[in-house]
Amino acid sequence: MISLRNVNKDYPNGVSALRNVELEIGKGEFAFLVGPSGAGKTTLLRLLFREEVPTSGSVIVHGHDVGRMRPRQIPFLRRQIGVVFQDFRLLPQRNVFENVAFALRVTEAQPREIRKRVGQVLELVGLPDRATALPAQLSGGEQQRVALARAMVGRPVLLLADEPTGNLDPQNAQEVMQILLEINRLGTTVVMATHAAHLVDRARQRVIAMDGGSIQRDELAAHYSERVVQ
Amino acid sequence: MRLRTWAFCLNEAGQNLWRNPVLAVASITTTTVALLVLGVFLLLSVNVNAIATSIEGQVAVQAFFAQSVPQAQEQQDLQQVRQWSQVRTARFISRDQALQELKKEFGSQATVLDSLGSANPLEDSLSVTAKTPRDVQPLARRLAGLAGVVHTSYQSAVVSRLFALVNAVRYAGLAIGLLLLLGSLLVINNAIRLGMTARRREISIMRLVGATESLVHWPFILEGLILGLVGAVVASGLSFWSYVAVYRSAVRTLPFLPLVDPSPLPRDIALGLLGLGIVLGAVGFRLSVRRLAKV
Repeated sequence: MISLRNVNKDYPNGVSALRNVELEIGKGEFAFLVGPSGAGKTTLLRLLFREEVPTSGSVIVHGHDVGRMRPRQIPFLRRQIGVVFQDFRLLPQRNVFENVAFALRVTEAQPREIRKRVGQVLELVGLPDRATALPAQLSGGEQQRVALARAMVGRPVLLLADEPTGNLDPQNAQEVMQILLEINRLGTTVVMATHAAHLVDRARQRVIAMDGGSIQRDELAAHYSERVVQ
Repeated sequence: MRLRTWAFCLNEAGQNLWRNPVLAVASITTTTVALLVLGVFLLLSVNVNAIATSIEGQVAVQAFFAQSVPQAQEQQDLQQVRQWSQVRTARFISRDQALQELKKEFGSQATVLDSLGSANPLEDSLSVTAKTPRDVQPLARRLAGLAGVVHTSYQSAVVSRLFALVNAVRYAGLAIGLLLLLGSLLVINNAIRLGMTARRREISIMRLVGATESLVHWPFILEGLILGLVGAVVASGLSFWSYVAVYRSAVRTLPFLPLVDPSPLPRDIALGLLGLGIVLGAVGFRLSVRRLAKV
C-alpha cells in the first residue's frame, strides 16, 4: 500500500524534515506514527496524500508514484485516500449531511448514491440522527466523527489521521480511536500520527517512532515508548 | 462536467455573491456605468457619423467654366465626368438656369437682380455629387483639372468640421469608456479575490477530497460572469430604451435629423455590451486565478 524508499524532504527554509526514510506499510495494516513535535510525522503524512513532494527518494501509494505524479492526476489519488486532522476542518455553514456529502459531490457522484453512502457512513461513526445539525452544534468528538465520515464516504483504501484525538477529551478520544480501529477492521489501511500514549498502548498495533526526521523504531503490537510497561 | 456539477458550481458562485452583497452591488454598478457610458458614446458617435455623412452626401461640388468655353466643350466634359467612378450624379447648369435659381432664392427681393438688365454675370457650371463622402475632396481636385474649368467650390469647411466632431466624440467616448472598463475590471477582480479568501477553507477541503482544479475554478469563473453579465444587461437595457425614447421624440420634433433607426442599431450595441460584460467577468477572474493556486 505504502512504500517509501530513501525519502528526504528539505524545506526551503533549510529545515530537513525527513532523512533517509525507508518504510513499508501493507494493505489493511494499522500503523501509529509517534514521536515528539517536529519529528517529521506530519510531513510524512503530507507526502502520502501529495500535499508535499519528496526532495529525493520515491513515495509509492497504492501504486502511484506520488513524487512524479502529474498535477492533474492528484485529485484521483486523493479520492482513494481519506484524511482527518486535529482541527476537524468542517465547513461551518453546512450541516453534517452536506459536510459529508461534499466529498462525493466534488467527484460528481449520483445524488441517490450520495444519500445512500452518507447514511451508511454516518451510521459507521455513530451519528445517524445528527445529519441536519451544524458543526457548531456538535461536541468536538462529534465533529471529529463527522470528519471521519467525510474521509470514509468515498470508500478510500487508505485513511490518514494527523493527531485526530489531539483536541478531544479522553472519553471522545477513545471513541474516535474505536472508530479508527473499526474502519481498519473493515479493510482500510490506517496511518495515524499521535501523541496519545495511552491510546497507542491500549491498541497494541504497529508503532513507527520518529525523531529528527528519521525512523527510530518500527515494531508490531508495540507500545508508545520503548520502555516496557509492566 | 455533468449538469448537477454545474448546478453545484453555480450554487457555490451564488453563495459567494450572497456573502459579499456590497461588493457584488459595487461590481455590478461600476460595470453598468462603464458599459452605459460606452454605449451612449457609441450611439452618439454612430448618429453624428450618420448626420455628417448625410450632410456630406448632399454637398455638391460646383465646377465653373470660363465664359469663353464653347457649349460643345462643356457637354463633352459633362459626359466625361459622368463616367468617373466617384461620381453619383452630374448635371449641367447653364448660366441662364443659374440666374433663374438665384432669382428663386432671392424670392421677393428678386427685383434686385433686374438691375442687371440683360447682362448675366454668372458662368455655366457642372454640379457633381460624389458616391461617398470620402470622394468629395479628390473629386473637386479632379474637376479643377478639366479643360475650361476655372474654379471649383464645395463647402469643405462644414464637412471637415463635422468629421472632426465625429472623431472627437468617438475618441472621447472610447477613452472614457476604456477607463471605466478598467475600473470595473478591478472591482470585479477584487470581488472574486475576496471570495477566494473567504472560501479558503472550502477550497482546501475540496482539494483534500479530490476535487479537480476545474471544479475549484468554475464557481469563481461563474461569479465573474454573473457580475459582468448583470452589469451588461442593465447597461444595454438602459441604453436601448433611452435611445428609443430619444429617437421617438426626435423624429417628432426634429424630423430633418437623419438619426439612425433604433431597431437594428441599439440591438447590435446591446449585444456588444453584453459580450463585453462577459469578457469583463472572465478577465476579472483570469486576473485572480494565480491567487487561487496559492489558497
